[in-house]
Amino acid sequence: MGRKLISALLGVLIALALGALIMLLQGYNPLSTYAALFSFSLLGWSPLATTLRNAVPLILTGLSASVAFASGPVNLGQPGQLLMGALFATLGGLSLDLPPLVMIPVLLLLAMLGGAFWSGLAALARHWFNMDEFITTLMLNMIADYFTYWAISYPLYDAEAFSPMTPQIHRAGWLPEFGDFNSNVLVMLAAFGALWFLFNRLTAGYEWRLTGQNGLFARLGGVNIERNYLAVMLVTGALAGLAGGLVVMAGPHRFLKGLGANYAWDGVMIAVVANNGLVGTLLYGLFFSSLQTGALGMELITAVPGEFIQVLQAVIVLVVVAGRGRLDWLLERSLARQKARERAA
Amino acid sequence: MSVPFLAMQEILKIFPPAVVALDRVSVEFRPGEIHAVVGENGAGKSTLMKVLYGLEAANSGQIQLRGQAVQFHSPGQAIAAGIGMVHQEILLVQEYRVWENIVLGLEPAGWFGRLDERQALRSVQQKIDEFHFNLDPLARVGEISVAARQKVEILKLLYRNVAVLILDEPTAVLTPQEIPQLFAELRRLRAGGKTILFISHHLEEVLELSDRITVLRKGRQVATLETSATNQAELSRLMIGRELARPPRPAAAPPGQPVLEVEGLSYRDGAGRLRLQDLSLQVRAGEIVGVAGVEGNGQFELVNVLMGLNPPESGRLLVQGHDLTRAEILERRRRIAFVSQDRGRLGAAVRATITENALMTHHRLNPRFTRWRGWRLEARAALQFARRIETQFGVSMASPEQPFQSLSGGNQQKVILGRELLLETPFLLLDQPTRGLDVGSMEYVHELILTLRAEQRAILLISADLEELFRLSDRIVVLHRGRLVADLPAVSASLEQVGALMLEGKEHPDGPQAD
Repeated sequence: MGRKLISALLGVLIALALGALIMLLQGYNPLSTYAALFSFSLLGWSPLATTLRNAVPLILTGLSASVAFASGPVNLGQPGQLLMGALFATLGGLSLDLPPLVMIPVLLLLAMLGGAFWSGLAALARHWFNMDEFITTLMLNMIADYFTYWAISYPLYDAEAFSPMTPQIHRAGWLPEFGDFNSNVLVMLAAFGALWFLFNRLTAGYEWRLTGQNGLFARLGGVNIERNYLAVMLVTGALAGLAGGLVVMAGPHRFLKGLGANYAWDGVMIAVVANNGLVGTLLYGLFFSSLQTGALGMELITAVPGEFIQVLQAVIVLVVVAGRGRLDWLLERSLARQKARERAA
Repeated sequence: MSVPFLAMQEILKIFPPAVVALDRVSVEFRPGEIHAVVGENGAGKSTLMKVLYGLEAANSGQIQLRGQAVQFHSPGQAIAAGIGMVHQEILLVQEYRVWENIVLGLEPAGWFGRLDERQALRSVQQKIDEFHFNLDPLARVGEISVAARQKVEILKLLYRNVAVLILDEPTAVLTPQEIPQLFAELRRLRAGGKTILFISHHLEEVLELSDRITVLRKGRQVATLETSATNQAELSRLMIGRELARPPRPAAAPPGQPVLEVEGLSYRDGAGRLRLQDLSLQVRAGEIVGVAGVEGNGQFELVNVLMGLNPPESGRLLVQGHDLTRAEILERRRRIAFVSQDRGRLGAAVRATITENALMTHHRLNPRFTRWRGWRLEARAALQFARRIETQFGVSMASPEQPFQSLSGGNQQKVILGRELLLETPFLLLDQPTRGLDVGSMEYVHELILTLRAEQRAILLISADLEELFRLSDRIVVLHRGRLVADLPAVSASLEQVGALMLEGKEHPDGPQAD
């Protein structure tokens, strides 16, 4: 664990240094840029609250991808599942009006249901037609994209709006805020805790993990591969759906065009960087959110364009993923050399 | 005599992070000798040869060829200097003919760089004649036997005019009948002035063939001996540091009720080929039945059908009277323990911890390992279970939480055996349970199998090692092209008889048993 942390920190630092190099080549001052970046995302309650709040959809979709990849299924349908979750939560929020204590859990459940419904379609396509979820989830993303666009343009269209969006959901479905902090973080943490417990302590999680590492071994060991596959697809779909529901309930309180943004693809990217580890996904999610949140401030204060953050993210992904294992290898090789010197002496 | 022909001096090789594979090993090889390198698995035999051949770089030490210090960075350089190696797994182009494989990479060029086929064929035939290899240069490699392919590999090196041939476990892929022929060929090569380095852990072979023997143990050179001045007992003592315990096989108690009953089992693969044909077989309680056969004659398919990975086309499978022909795998596992030949692919998830690997199957069959009606794992029980395997089966591990892959092969197999045996099933399917294990671990596994028989369990043992089959089995059945061609009591069967059955599906016409 210690070595993993060092390797991750080192990777991030090298990536930041490379980012600085790129800025120098472009004629910007890297020090003041980084200062602006992190002061707008981490320094002070308000920036911190924004970073946390923006991290929620990244982390939840990241967890969805991590659990799926670590268990075997290549669920790449987080973008579509997020949108369907958001749509289900919006529908509930528009049609139901219950006391907040009931309303919020109901909408969260609806969001999860929406995501699970969408990933469940991919699971059924595999069960019935032996179609690979790698393809079907990607295709279902497109369908979800246009289906939700149609839904907010016609049946759910807010007549007073000038662009496709729904009316606001009922007040009872809005997530409470505590000062600058939105309670979507609490929901995310609860989901993280439940998922961690499931993955690391429950029988199902044990079977998922071992199936992900060696499916044939698990199958010979008596694990019901088919049932677990369906369960993993549903759970990871529900996580992405929850991300979508939280975006609606914490933010604009309605489904508007472009709501999903890049959250889900960034989540997949975070899962890759975190090597499908749950804690790693949480931490990298926070870090990437701080970059994205600080980008606005950086643009405001310095001349560096906000798109630079995307370059920086890409560099981080490459350095961390490529560096993983390489660092261990270097460390081990130097130990071997040392031993060789001792013996030779 | 002052300058040795080929010498390795003070070779030190450390595999990262700190595994000492070779600890300052020094060996001299004489021209025109057959020099055997023996040792248990992991003793460093192959590593030493790979250093010589340029596949691995040593951390320190040097190699001298005819008094000149040499350093090979690749096999190509070693071959150019006259040192070639025949690997355990044979690397040839199946679709090419024998001569094409031999000249590949060193083709005689004709006009405009075109391959001069006639010239190539002539020089290959010349080499075949020179060393009396019985081989058709025009045959396709994919259609000739493994023994013939091995000859092609050797010829490939002779064609490149090497003076030193390294053979890594050359007899492992051969049947008992083919071994004398290989030995005759190697002796002819020696007569032709070649130096042959021969890696093996079959001591009988080594004693029969070699002139001198170097023994390695745990990366150290223990001795280099004249073959005429040593014997099997001394060699095995040097190899493992103690005398091998070879107790006479305990007399089998009369076997009990049938446990495994296979009736008329047939299996067709995805391409429609009949891979198992009308197989019938019984294993009784307290009985070990050995399955002999050249690899690829249906062993793989038999295992898959018994374990439920593939459904049979017809036939029945019963264990203790329960029909498992179409049962779910978990249902089978209540009555069948399974040790596979491929630990990394079928026997374990190597990156998971030892405890996680030990828990597999038990977590579903034994309520002790779960709480909440099976939903939650009982982590402490799992850990205790791993520790029980550690002590009961003598696994050496730092912690049950370390990754499975950090264990040595022998210890990995002990964990797998522990997991499967503690399922306490009436029937055990053991598919090459000692594959890749060193002599000490192999001995341990054999003892364990005999103990299981004494506990009245029924055991089906599939093995490519005839010696192992003869040592353990009560009956030996022979698989040939998907059919069982013989069912013999082990005490009265002979090695040659079984060898002939494996190769030809029938007994040898001039074999001792034929008349």
